[in-house]
Amino acid sequence: MVDLSQYLPILLFLFIALGLSALFVFLPMGVSRLTGAHNPDAEKLSEYECGFPAFEDPRSQFDVRFYLIAILFIVFDLEAAFLFPWAVSLDLTGWPGWITMMIFLGELAVGLAYAWKVGALEWD
Amino acid sequence: MDYTASLYATGAEIGLSIAGLILLLVSAWTGTRYARLVTILAAAALFGAMIFSGHLMAESTAELTGDAFGGLFRADAFAGFAKILIYAATIACLVVTPKFFDARRQYRSEYPVLMLFGAVGMGMMVSAVDLLTLYIGLELSSLASYVLASFARDDMRSSEAGLKYFILGALASGILLYGMSLVYGFAGSTNYLAIRIAFADGFGTGAMFGVVFVLAGLAFKVSAVPFHMWTPDVYEGAPTPVTAFFASAPKVAAVVVLARMALDPFAGQIASWQQIVIFAALASIVVGALGAIGQNSLKRVLAYSSINNVGFILIGLAAASAAGASAMLVYLAIYVPMTIGSFAALLMLRDEDGNALETFDDIAGLVTRRPAIAWSLLLLMFSLAGIPPLFGFWGKFVVFQAAVEADMIALAAIGIAASVIGAFYYLKFVKVMFFDDRTERGIATSPAGHWAVLILAAVIVSPLGYLLTQPLGAWADRAATSLFIPV
Amino acid sequence: MIQTLAFYLFAVLVTASATMVILSRNPVHSVLWLILSFFNAAGLMVLVGAEFIALLLVIVYVGAVAVLFLFVVMMLDIDFSELRAGFMKNFPIGVAIAVVLLTELVLGIGAYRAGALQLGAPTGDAVPIPGRGNIDSLGAVLYTDYLFLFEAAGIILLVAMVGAIVLTHREQKATRGHQNIGKQVRRNPDEATVMKQPEVGAGVEL
Repeated sequence: MVDLSQYLPILLFLFIALGLSALFVFLPMGVSRLTGAHNPDAEKLSEYECGFPAFEDPRSQFDVRFYLIAILFIVFDLEAAFLFPWAVSLDLTGWPGWITMMIFLGELAVGLAYAWKVGALEWD
Repeated sequence: MDYTASLYATGAEIGLSIAGLILLLVSAWTGTRYARLVTILAAAALFGAMIFSGHLMAESTAELTGDAFGGLFRADAFAGFAKILIYAATIACLVVTPKFFDARRQYRSEYPVLMLFGAVGMGMMVSAVDLLTLYIGLELSSLASYVLASFARDDMRSSEAGLKYFILGALASGILLYGMSLVYGFAGSTNYLAIRIAFADGFGTGAMFGVVFVLAGLAFKVSAVPFHMWTPDVYEGAPTPVTAFFASAPKVAAVVVLARMALDPFAGQIASWQQIVIFAALASIVVGALGAIGQNSLKRVLAYSSINNVGFILIGLAAASAAGASAMLVYLAIYVPMTIGSFAALLMLRDEDGNALETFDDIAGLVTRRPAIAWSLLLLMFSLAGIPPLFGFWGKFVVFQAAVEADMIALAAIGIAASVIGAFYYLKFVKVMFFDDRTERGIATSPAGHWAVLILAAVIVSPLGYLLTQPLGAWADRAATSLFIPV
Repeated sequence: MIQTLAFYLFAVLVTASATMVILSRNPVHSVLWLILSFFNAAGLMVLVGAEFIALLLVIVYVGAVAVLFLFVVMMLDIDFSELRAGFMKNFPIGVAIAVVLLTELVLGIGAYRAGALQLGAPTGDAVPIPGRGNIDSLGAVLYTDYLFLFEAAGIILLVAMVGAIVLTHREQKATRGHQNIGKQVRRNPDEATVMKQPEVGAGVEL
C-alpha cells in the first residue's frame, strides 16, 4: 500500500479551503436571514428579464468552432502531461530520453504550424 | 538497445512519417493549389517504402534475430510481403483519387497526407511483435480511416459513414484493448515471444477470455461475420476512392495481424482459436454470398463481396499451417488487384454531369456503350467468383488445398459449395452489362490514371496472371515460414 | 484504517456521481457530475499508487475532456426532454437486458467462487525502480524502451489534430474584418478619385 502520510499537507490544505469557502458562502446568507426582513412570494422569486416574461431557453447553441479549439487544447494538454514523467526521469533516461522528447515536440510543432497556417486558430 | 539496427528495421515507417510531416507543412503553405503535386510526392514516398520493404524482405534470414527496439517491431519476410501489398494498394488508391474529388472541388492536399500516416500505422501493425505496437499502429491507421471516410464533409452519406465507422471502430478497439489487457495480465508480458512461452503449456479461462476478445476485436477490423454489419453501410457512404482503400490496404493489414497473432503468441493454443476462425470463415462466406443477392447498389454488392473473400482467406488461417499461411498471402495478393480494379471501374462509371452510376440499372447494356470497361469488369467479376481460367481461381485453389492438407475436408467442401452461391451475383453483373437493354444515360470519358489502374488489374487477374504463380508462391512460402520459426 | 476509510469515501462518491450523470435532467449537470466522478477516480488511483494516472485524470480528463463534453453538449441542438420521452416505451427492453447481464454476472461470480473457473494467476515482473516514485519509473521506460511507440503516439495526436481541422474548419469566404493597412496607407488621391465631366443627359460611366 501507498504511504498516504505524504499527502497530509494537501489534505489539510483542502480542508481549510473547503471550510473557508463554505464560511464565505453561508455566513452572509445566515447573517442576512437573521437581520433582514424575509417574506418571499411568487412574483418576487420569478426571474427578472427587463420586465418581459422569459420566453426561451437561456441555453443557446454553441458554434462548432469551440469544438475545434477544444480538440486542439486536448492534444496540447496531453503533450504537456507527457512532459511531467519526462522531466522527473531525465537523469535515468539521459540523452536518448531527451532526443525522444524533442522529436515528439517537433511532431506536434508541425501540427501547430499547420493549424496556425490554415487559420484554425483564428476566430474570424 | 542497438539504435542503428532498430532504425534500419523501421526505415519504411520512419521515412513515410517524415514524408508525411513535410507534406503536411507543404499542404499548409500551398493550400489546395498543389494538391495534385502533394499526391504525386506521397505516392513516390510510398513507392520508396515499398522498395525498401522488398529489400528488407530479401535480406531477411530464416532465423530469429533480435527484434527492433527491444522486441517491439520485427521486419521479417511475413511483414515485408504484407507491406509491399499495403503500399502498392495505397499507391493505386492515390492514383484514382484526385479526379473523383476534382469534379466536386473537394480535393485537398490533406488527403494524401492522411493516407501516408494510415500507411505508417498499417506498417506498424503488420510488423508488430508486441501488443502495444499493434494497438498504436491500429489506432493510427483507424484514426486516419475515420477522417478519410467523412472526407467529403458536405455529403450527408459520407459524414454518416465516417460517424458509423468511428463509433463501431472505437467499440472494436475497446474490445481488443480489453482482450489485450487480459492477455497481458495472465501472460505477464505484452511481447509476443513471452506470451507464446507463457501460453505454451496450457492456460486458464481468464487468458482464454483474453484471446477471444482479441480475436473479436480483430474480426471487426477484417469485417468477418458476425462483426461485419458496418461494412456495407460504410463502403456505400464513403467516397468511392476511400472505399477502394478500405477494401484493400487496411483489410490486408488486419488479416495479416490476425494471422501473426494466431500463429505466433497463441501458437501453443491452436484449439482455442481454431473453432472461432472456422466459424467466422464459413459464416463470412455464406453471409457475404447471400447478403449481396438482394442489393441494387454496386458498392454494397462489392462490400458483401469483400466479406465473402475474407471468409476464404480465413480458411487458410484455420488450417494453422505454413501452407495455410502461404495460401492466405497468395489469396491476399490476388484479392488486392481484383478489388481495386473493380472499384476503379466503378469510379469510371459516371455520366457527363459527373454523377456516379451506382446501381445495376445504371450499368445495363454497358458493353455497347463502354466495351473496354465492360470487358474488364467481366474479367474481374469472373475472377472474384473464382471461375477457372482466371487468376482468382488460383487463390481459392491454394486456400482449399491447404485446408485439405490440414485434414479439414468438410470445411473445404462447405466453402466450395458456398462459393457457388456467391457466383450468382458476380454473374448478375455480367448479365446486366452484356444482355440487358441499354439505358440512355451517357458516360463521361475517363482519365488516364483510372485506365492504367483498371488495365493493370485486369491483366493481373486474366490468365496471364498465372505467369506470376511461381514467384508469388515462392515469396509467400518464404514469408509464411518466417512465422513458424521455433522459439 | 485511514486507507480503508479513504477507499470507501472515494468509491461511494464515484458510484454516486456516476449515477447522477445518468439521472440528472440537465445535460450540463451531467457533465459537472462527471467531473466530480473523475476527481474521485483520481483519488482511488492515488490510493493504489498509480500517481501518474491520477495526474492524467485531473489534467486531461477534468481539464480537457470534460470541457470538450461541455462544448459538445452546448453545441448539439437536441431537446433532451424529448429524448427522455421514449424512456417508458423502451423500459421493458432495458430491464430485460439488465436482468440478462445481472444473471451472467451472478453465474460468472458464482462459478468462480465455487472453483469451477480456473482463471489462472495474473503474473507480472514489472518492478519499480527502488527509491523512485511511480512517475519516475514510468518515465524511465516510456522514453527509452518504448520510444518508438511514444513517437508513434505523437503521430496519432497529429493525425487527430489534422482530422479535426479537415472536418470542421472552413475557409472564411468573406474577407470582412481583414483590413490591409499597408494598402490603405499607400493609396493617394490621384488613384483613389477620378474627375469626370459628364455631358448633359448622358450620365456617367465608371
